[in-house]
Amino acid sequence: MPNHLYRLTANQVTCGIKNGQFSAQEYIFQILERIEKVDNKVNAFVLVDKQGAIEKALSIDKRLRDGEAVGELAGVAVGIKDNICIKDLKTTCASNILESYIPPYDASVIRSLKENDAIIVGKLNLDEFAMGSTTEFSRYGPTRNPWNLEYVAGGSSGGSAASVAASECAVSLGSDTGGSIRCPSSFCSVVGLKPTYGCVSRSGLISYSNSLEQIGPVGKTVLDVVMVMNSIAGIDENDQTTKPIRPIATLTSEDITKSNISSKYTADQNKRNITIGLVKELIEGADPAVSKCIYSAVDLFEGSDCKCEETSMKSIQYALASYYTIATAEASSNLARYDNIRYGFEYDPEGYEWNTYFSNVRNNFGDEVKRRIIIGSYVLSAGYYGKYYLRAHIAREMIRQEIKSLFERFDVLIGPTMPILPFKIGQKIDDPLKMYQIDIDTVIANLAGIPAISMPIGFSNSFPVGLQIMADDMCEQTLFDVASFFEKIVDVRRSPEI
Amino acid sequence: MVSKDEIKHLGWLSRLELTTEELDRYVSQIDEIVRYFDKLDTIPLSESEWTYSTKEVSELREDANRVFKWEKLQSLKNRKDGFIKGPKMS
Repeated sequence: MPNHLYRLTANQVTCGIKNGQFSAQEYIFQILERIEKVDNKVNAFVLVDKQGAIEKALSIDKRLRDGEAVGELAGVAVGIKDNICIKDLKTTCASNILESYIPPYDASVIRSLKENDAIIVGKLNLDEFAMGSTTEFSRYGPTRNPWNLEYVAGGSSGGSAASVAASECAVSLGSDTGGSIRCPSSFCSVVGLKPTYGCVSRSGLISYSNSLEQIGPVGKTVLDVVMVMNSIAGIDENDQTTKPIRPIATLTSEDITKSNISSKYTADQNKRNITIGLVKELIEGADPAVSKCIYSAVDLFEGSDCKCEETSMKSIQYALASYYTIATAEASSNLARYDNIRYGFEYDPEGYEWNTYFSNVRNNFGDEVKRRIIIGSYVLSAGYYGKYYLRAHIAREMIRQEIKSLFERFDVLIGPTMPILPFKIGQKIDDPLKMYQIDIDTVIANLAGIPAISMPIGFSNSFPVGLQIMADDMCEQTLFDVASFFEKIVDVRRSPEI
Repeated sequence: MVSKDEIKHLGWLSRLELTTEELDRYVSQIDEIVRYFDKLDTIPLSESEWTYSTKEVSELREDANRVFKWEKLQSLKNRKDGFIKGPKMS
């Protein structure tokens, strides 16, 4: 049996298992051993479902022995961010208020992964209710960056990126409201995708900001991200915002549905003559250690038949204020439901008057969540609604329009995913505004609803740097074409020593 | 300038009972954040030009009742005689 099976990509795992090079059981034992060995350092997992994982592996092996069909993700170890519901497995959002919540149903994305025979190995750490950019606001403590354990892994899907980087699972699911998949993917040197709004079902994702958030995959390669998307993307009757996917860039979704063409994304189309817009505001606002890395990548692209041109996006100046106004407003409304009556922890309401009971219960929210609930209530309150909430929506529309016009000139827009390199744990936790400001490059895609991917582009002072690529609405395939092309040119894939 | 009374009141509306220490900290932090939001005031638009679109939802699911089996709610903590227990209304 080959050693280090845990290091394999999702594609290598399914091929290996289907070709009989190793069994799902052999692979999953190595994954579980790996988690045991390194997770006490990384703190990516908040729950490991050993029994469930082994049972699933045995069932895949049995079906293969019996000559039965297995799914496209057969045997692949997947980790799930702990704000996505899995039936009968605790789902806490890293919050004390949900410390013992056990969902009675699977999120739609989980159902799809299970049907495709992925092996769900456990739940991954996050900032409480996905509110944060470092995974430090978690009841389980911070996830550590596998490249340097003293540094943040990014967030809020810190567990999703760190677990893949540390080879504790092959791929993972995160959620991205303002960069929560792309930020940790950049900090941990893995590939992370925020799909178009409506591309992946949100049914079973515990809501934070409904108009901005999407579930998306994290993997070691673009191909792995594509494989997961082929399992989770598309229409779901439980989420009315979902749309048909568009795997062929030249056709509309309607054409594909009508003509019944294979509706799968691919990672091997040889894309040439790409027109790239380098967003000036994003690169100028970045730390030179980051921008230097982006510029060297741009040089490589230009030497490979790509046309790269600097472009400006004026509305970016309003993006962060617009994003945090909308996100906190939606959060304050979404989090009103936590009254501990329908789900929650052990705390008998008998004998309590309801105001007292709810206040006592809701004191279990952490610091950042409370802050965002209050900011959200503030921007929605009488007298401030027009000044903040309404104007935030106008800014959002301006950003949408400007992006739309840019995609008439460019196939993709690029820039750094994060304006800075990973920083030390604890360094920014006491300054919320400074923490919000590191999301400046990522919030744009959420406000506009467009897809964006972060991919490793190099290292600066031994820390990973991520390149962000954005494409037009529902043009995930364009992102995959460009990202896999870049992946071939800029070969930076390495594993951290841990 | 965000005031202590405003934050206290919003805390009450959100059913968050803030300690004095929390209140002091939130007042200065939220003041700084909201002042940053004032950036939105500089959008060069007259009120008559204010527009924004919302995302379309093409078809809504039929508003039909779906039976949720009681066994599925086994994880509920506060139950008594087949009912869900809550605090007194007053």
